[in-house]
Amino acid sequence: MSTNPPVTRAGSIYDLGYRRYEGPRLGRAHAIRSLIVHSFRTTYGIGRSGRAKAAPIIFGAMAILPAVIIVGGLTIAARFGFDRQLDDAELIGFNNYYSSVTAIVVLFCAAQAPELFGRDQRHGVLALYFARALRRSDYALGRLIGFMLAVLVMVLVPMVILFLGRVLLSIDIGRAFGNNLPNVPPVFAQGFVIATLYGGLSMAVSAFSPRRAYATAGIIALFVLPGLVAGIVIGIGSSTVGTWLVLVSPNTILDGTNALFFDRSLGEEYFFVTIPGWAFLLAAVVEIALVVGLILRRFARITI
Amino acid sequence: MSLIATDGLTKRYPGGITALDGLSVAIEPGIIGLVGSNGAGKRTLLKVLLGLLEPTSGRATIFDLDVATRGIAIRELVGYMPEHDCLPPDASATDVVSHLALISGLPRTAARERTAEVLRHVGLYEERYRAIGGYSTGMKQRVKLAQALVHDPRLLLLDEPTNGLDPAGRDEMLELIHRTGSEFGIAVIVASHLLGEIERVCDHLVAIEGGRLLRSAPLGSFTERTGTLAVEVEDGREALVERLTARGLRVVVDGPAVLVDLVDETPFDIVRDVVVELDLALVRMEQRRHRLEDLFRDDPTAGNGASAPAAPAAAAAPPPPPPVAR
Repeated sequence: MSTNPPVTRAGSIYDLGYRRYEGPRLGRAHAIRSLIVHSFRTTYGIGRSGRAKAAPIIFGAMAILPAVIIVGGLTIAARFGFDRQLDDAELIGFNNYYSSVTAIVVLFCAAQAPELFGRDQRHGVLALYFARALRRSDYALGRLIGFMLAVLVMVLVPMVILFLGRVLLSIDIGRAFGNNLPNVPPVFAQGFVIATLYGGLSMAVSAFSPRRAYATAGIIALFVLPGLVAGIVIGIGSSTVGTWLVLVSPNTILDGTNALFFDRSLGEEYFFVTIPGWAFLLAAVVEIALVVGLILRRFARITI
Repeated sequence: MSLIATDGLTKRYPGGITALDGLSVAIEPGIIGLVGSNGAGKRTLLKVLLGLLEPTSGRATIFDLDVATRGIAIRELVGYMPEHDCLPPDASATDVVSHLALISGLPRTAARERTAEVLRHVGLYEERYRAIGGYSTGMKQRVKLAQALVHDPRLLLLDEPTNGLDPAGRDEMLELIHRTGSEFGIAVIVASHLLGEIERVCDHLVAIEGGRLLRSAPLGSFTERTGTLAVEVEDGREALVERLTARGLRVVVDGPAVLVDLVDETPFDIVRDVVVELDLALVRMEQRRHRLEDLFRDDPTAGNGASAPAAPAAAAAPPPPPPVAR
């Protein structure tokens, strides 16, 4: 073959040998796992340019900020000897933290969901995936689960900070641990619902709109417009049929499941709502199933 | 075992366009050129073979695996290089190729090693760590080839691999394809509308037109005629034809042009001399190399045994269009 030194000109082709691959091929499950990991990393900009990291860092910081402030407040209070009172105080606690960061989660979804389905469609990468040894549904589910995991981490990290802060800064760590422990299951349950519902909805929008700007606008609209409808219903109040309309908004669904998991009553603005708590959970499950079905259908039919 | 076999393969798109029309062909391993003009059905055929498109009727097999039912097993053995852009601009070549190696089922370390090897094989060195957005077309084409090779396929499907490349880039890409196909035992199918390029690397040609098979034969039988020379003159065309025929050339009149068979270089000189002798005003003299219509027209000079074996199959009345779902 050629005796050229392999560095004369960028882009020249030299034969340094091609070897066969005799090793194992791990199949579809491995492909799905890889897609989940890749989607998670892409969402947070890990291994990507600084620009791709900007949005996840900003929104992540915003989501964590309240928790940090609370823990900071606890620390200062402990210094001045108010810790006994603070152990039982309810400022922003586990049961209302989520609703205080909902807007940030929505923005995070709107900014990052188009990075996955949208990017693959915009740049034609879909053809490279579909030409490999996996099903279209494997691709769609891998991407979807990866993004849901990313949202889950986004909402759980502040809770972990809150938990550690409340426990470790207490004078009686054992008692504080015991006091805070019952919050863990509802925190996980609610975090799981947020991640799957918001993650799923925003991925569905981005699956249908490859253009980034449209996808982002669509996701925000999807979270805001039904909220307006629900707001009007709440404003009008009462009417039995009307109360079920609060279920059209993902936001109110989350308020409902939050109340259900933490075993509290809904906020004052819901005074007229007579729907049982499980109805909100059911609405969440139905909506998530619908969204997964839509995404699978989209990628089963898409021509590349 | 044949590499690829199709039987009455038909694909109609919703909207009534028939991309494949009862295509029946058997292809043996090697470097195969799939030629046809734009819209002949080349890309549709590749996509059907990959299981990316469902045929309307007929069947196709690769390595004796049915594309309709064994799509995943087939795609494990096949590497596909699409014609269109398919690389995210903000990722590096290493990122893209190693990620796709994982998707093809390679373990993490193997994926990393093969990515480095394959990118070197296609001629990408330090630049493989840079974002693809800054690559030249030639470099992008190499990355596209590398991702098709990274899982060590038995068959490569390349769709217009020289598209957008300058002449030097074309030469290098063709050389790379040739070496990949001939030295590493990977069967290659190169779809192209540029016969002149394809004949440099392939040992077998499959020509399709309008979704039907025109001809499938070893390269040699295609290149016996190397082309035609189109000559256009003002007035005096008849005299030119007469003189050229008298000098022993095979001449056909085609509209305003006189087509001269090019067997070797001599017709150039003869045409020049005759034009000077007759004192004609020469408007145009153009070598029409390997235009598909020339090659597949009735061709008395290429009267060997390889005359369109599948023509009857293509002529057999295709089934009436079934109602297309969706």
